[in-house]
Amino acid sequence: MKGSLRWRVLLVMALAALLPTLVVGVLAILRARHDVEDEVQRGALAHIRALGAALDGTLQDARRTVELASSQWADAPGDARATQLLMARLRRDVPIVQSLSILDPDGKSLYGDPVPAGVDIGSHSFGGYIGDAVFVDGRPTVHLVVQARGRTGELMGVFVASLDLGFVHDVIAAARLGPGARVLVIDGRGELVATSEPTATPTSAIKGNPVVDRALASSVEGTLSAGGWVSAYRNLSSYQSLRGVRWAIIHQQPEAQAYALARRTTRDTILIGGIALALALGLGAFFATRLTRPLADLARRADAIAAGHATEGPAIEGPGEIGVLARQVDDMAKRIAERAELAAALARGDRLASVGVMSAQVAHEINNPLTTVLGYAKLLLEDKPEGHPDRSALELIAEEAERMKKIIGGLLEYARAPRPSEPATQVATGAVTSGSSEPSAVVKHVAALVAPQLRKAKAQLVTAVEPQQPLSIEAHALQQVLVNLVQNAAQAGATTITIGSRPGPGGIATVLTVADDGPGIPAADRSRVFDPFFTTKAPGTGTGLGLAVCKHLVATAGGTIEVGDRADGHGAEFRVTIPVA
Amino acid sequence: MRRVLLLIAAAACGGEHPAPAPIKFLHTFGPEETELFNATMTERGIAVEAKLAPFARGQQVIGEILRAGTSCPDLIRIDATWLPGLVAHDLLLPVPPELQHEDWLPEVEARMGVPQTIDGLIELRDEAAPAPRSSSIADLVAAARATAHAERPHPLGLRADGYWFVPWLRDAGSDIDLDHIGNAGAVEGLAQFAALFGDVAPPPPPAGSEAPEELRRWLQHDTAYWVTGPWQVGALRERERLQITALAGAPRGGQMLVVPKCAKDPAAGWRLAGELTSVPVATKFAEAFATVPTRASALAAAPPLVQAEYQALRGAQPLARSPVTPLLFDDLNPAIAAVIAHDATPQEAIDGVRRGWERLARREPR
Repeated sequence: MKGSLRWRVLLVMALAALLPTLVVGVLAILRARHDVEDEVQRGALAHIRALGAALDGTLQDARRTVELASSQWADAPGDARATQLLMARLRRDVPIVQSLSILDPDGKSLYGDPVPAGVDIGSHSFGGYIGDAVFVDGRPTVHLVVQARGRTGELMGVFVASLDLGFVHDVIAAARLGPGARVLVIDGRGELVATSEPTATPTSAIKGNPVVDRALASSVEGTLSAGGWVSAYRNLSSYQSLRGVRWAIIHQQPEAQAYALARRTTRDTILIGGIALALALGLGAFFATRLTRPLADLARRADAIAAGHATEGPAIEGPGEIGVLARQVDDMAKRIAERAELAAALARGDRLASVGVMSAQVAHEINNPLTTVLGYAKLLLEDKPEGHPDRSALELIAEEAERMKKIIGGLLEYARAPRPSEPATQVATGAVTSGSSEPSAVVKHVAALVAPQLRKAKAQLVTAVEPQQPLSIEAHALQQVLVNLVQNAAQAGATTITIGSRPGPGGIATVLTVADDGPGIPAADRSRVFDPFFTTKAPGTGTGLGLAVCKHLVATAGGTIEVGDRADGHGAEFRVTIPVA
Repeated sequence: MRRVLLLIAAAACGGEHPAPAPIKFLHTFGPEETELFNATMTERGIAVEAKLAPFARGQQVIGEILRAGTSCPDLIRIDATWLPGLVAHDLLLPVPPELQHEDWLPEVEARMGVPQTIDGLIELRDEAAPAPRSSSIADLVAAARATAHAERPHPLGLRADGYWFVPWLRDAGSDIDLDHIGNAGAVEGLAQFAALFGDVAPPPPPAGSEAPEELRRWLQHDTAYWVTGPWQVGALRERERLQITALAGAPRGGQMLVVPKCAKDPAAGWRLAGELTSVPVATKFAEAFATVPTRASALAAAPPLVQAEYQALRGAQPLARSPVTPLLFDDLNPAIAAVIAHDATPQEAIDGVRRGWERLARREPR
C-alpha cells in the first residue's frame, strides 16, 4: 500500500493541504495575537488618557478658580468681609475643596481653616503647586498652594486648599473596565491615591509591582507585560494642571482575560484549520482513488497484454491525460492483436506458399507425362472405331487426364500469382502486376468471354460499369478475377449476374461488385472461401483455387476482396476494392 | 572538558547570587531626556531605579525627601542653583577625590556635586535673516530692530521671565541679589526689558506656552535673534541655520549630580554620576538634546553646534551662589509680568521684589 501510486498521490495531496494550512494558520494566529495585544494595549492607554484628562480637568478648574480668587483677594487683603465672601464662594464653586486657608507671606494664618501640618507654603515651586497625596481620615487628599500676588506682583499671601480626591475614585469606578481589569492612581512616592477596585487595595499590595516603578521612572506612557498582568501606564506630570504632580495612572488586566479574544481566535483558527485539513485529506483520498483507478486498470490491462490477452476487458475511461493514455493503450492492444493475427496469417501464408511451390513443382513434373498419357489416349481412341470394347476405357483415361491437367493448370496459375507480402516487381512467377486498367473496358471484354458459358447455363450478365479512371491493376488480372467470379456465380446456379461499380472510401479506390441471385454463401464459409483448395462444389467439379487466385491478384494490386449477401438478401455479392491508378 | 565543566558550574552557581540592587536615582529630566536616559541605562546594563521629580517642584520634593531621610536616593540630578541650599542644610556628601580630579571644564567645579551639563542664556541668530552678531544688549536690540519688517514685526525672541531679565539687569548695573535689586539700575533695566515686549519682542504668550510658542516663531522665521538656552536648541531639528554667539551679561548655570548623605549606597551614586558624565553618555545626550558636556574629553567628542554653545557660555556669569537665589525668581517673575502688562510701574514692581527678597533673607540662610 505504501509504495502504491494511490498512497503517493494521497501523500502529495496531504502535504499540499497540510503545509498551506499550517503556514496560513500559524500566520493567522500570530497576526491575530499581535493585533489583539496591540488593541488591548492601545485601549488601555486610551482609557488612562481619558482618566488622566478627567483628573487634569478637575484639578485644573480648581487651581484656576483658586488662582483667580487669590488675585482678587490680593488687591484688597485687609477686607475681612470680602475675604469671607470670597472663601464661601470658593467652597461653593469648587466642591472638592475640603478646607481652605489664607496665610500671610510669612506663613501666619489670616483666614479660614487651620493649615494642615507638613504643607510647605514657601516658594521652591514657581508660585504654587499641587502636592503629593495625603490621607485625611482615610480619604486621599491633596494640598493646593497658590501664591496671592497683588497688582505689582508682590506676594500678599498664600492660599492653601485641601482638595478631596474622592472624585478620582468616582471617575475610575464609573469607568467601564474590561474583565478583571483595574485602574490604580499612585503618587510619586508609590502611595495609592485611588483604585477602581471595590475593596481598597492596600498600598503594600502594589509595592514591588514592576509597573509602578516603570510608571514613576517614565515621563510619558508605555505598556508592560509582567507577572501575568498586562499593564499600561501614564505619568501625569505631562498634563497642564498637574505639572509638578508626580502621579501616574496604571491600567492592569490579567493576561488571561486581556488576551481572551486572542485565545479564542487561536482556538477557532485551529478548529477551522483542523476541519479544513480533514476535509482536504478526505477529498484528497477520494480524488486520489478516482485519479489512480484508471491507472490501476491500465496496469491490469498491461498485464493482460503481456499475458497475450490484448483485447480482453472493456475500454478504460479516465480524465485528461489518463484518458488519452488509456485510449492509446487500447489502440496499442488492438494493434498488437492485429499484428498477432497478421503474424499468424503470414505464418499460414508461408506454409501455403511452400505448399504452392511444392505443388507447382509436382504439377510441372507431372504435367509432361500426363500430356504424354493424354496424347496417347487420344491417339488410341482415334484408332478404335465406335463400339470397340476398349474405347470406353480409353475415353475414361482421356477425361481423367484432362481433369488432371486442369488441376495442374490451376496449381500452376496459383503458383505464378505473387504473394501479397511480396513487392510487385519481385514476383517470382513473372506475373506483372504493375500497370493499370480501365474497368468498363475490362468488364466489356469479360462479358464477351463468358457469354457462351452463360448461354449454356441459361444465365444472363448485366453490366453497370461506366467509363472511369483507370485502376492500379493489370487488365488481364482484373479480367481473370471478374471471369472467375462470374463463372462461380453461374456454376452456383445464378440466373442473373450483375457487375457494378461505385467509388470507394475517400475517392481513392473503386469498388467493383459481382452480385448474383444464386443461393449465396453461408456465413460460416465466408471466412474460408478465399483459402486455397476450399470448395463447396461437388467433388471433381472444382479445384478450390479460383477464389484464392482472385484474392492474391487483388491483394497484389493493393486492393481487397470480400464476400457478403447481396443488398436484397438474395444471393451473394463479391466486392473488389482496388485503388485508382 | 574540565574547563567546560568548571564554566558550567560557575554559570550555575552564578545564578544563585542575587542581582545587584538597582541604583536609586531621582532626576529632573524632561520627558524625552527621561526616555533616552532609561534606554541608555538599559543599553549599558546598569540597573537603575529612577524616579522623576518634576522640575517645577524639584527643589521642594528633593528637600522633603532628604529631610525625611526615608526612600533616600543614591543620586539626585538638580539645577545648579539648588546646590547652595542643599549644602547649607548639610544634606550632601562631597564628591570623592578621584571624581573631583576628572577633566572637568574650567567653568564648572566638582566639589559638592558632579556637574552634568552647562547651560545658560545664549544668542541664537537665524543665518537666513541675515542678522549680524551683537556685542552688547543695546547692540542686540538695535540689530534685532534692524531686521524688523512688516512680515516680521517682532524679530527678537525673548521670554518675560526673571532669568531672561538678568542680562538687562546686569547691563543696567544691577544683579539678582538683595544687595543690587534696590538700586536705580534695577528699575531702569526692568523698564527697558519690559518695553521690548510688544515692540521688538512679541507680547508674552499665555503662561505655560512660552517654549512651544518661541519654537513656533523661530521655525516660521518670525524671529531673527533668539535669546534662549541649549534646552531649546535641542528641540530644533534643523540646526544648520543656527549661528550661536555669546549674550552680554547672560547668566550661566547647569545641572548637577549630587549624592545625599542619607543615600544607602553613595558609591553606587557616584558610579552613576561618573557614567552620566562619561564621554559616550554625554555625547549621546549632546547629540540628542544639544546639552553641553562638562568634561573636556566629552566636549571634544560633542557636535560642533554644542561646542559653539560652550564657547558662547564661557563668558556668561553664574548667578549668585546663595540658597535664596532660586527663590528670588518667585517674586521677580510676577513683578516683570505686572510691568509688561502695565499693571505696575517698574519702580513699584522693583519695590515689591525688594520687600519679598528681604522677607526671604530673613527666613532662609544666605
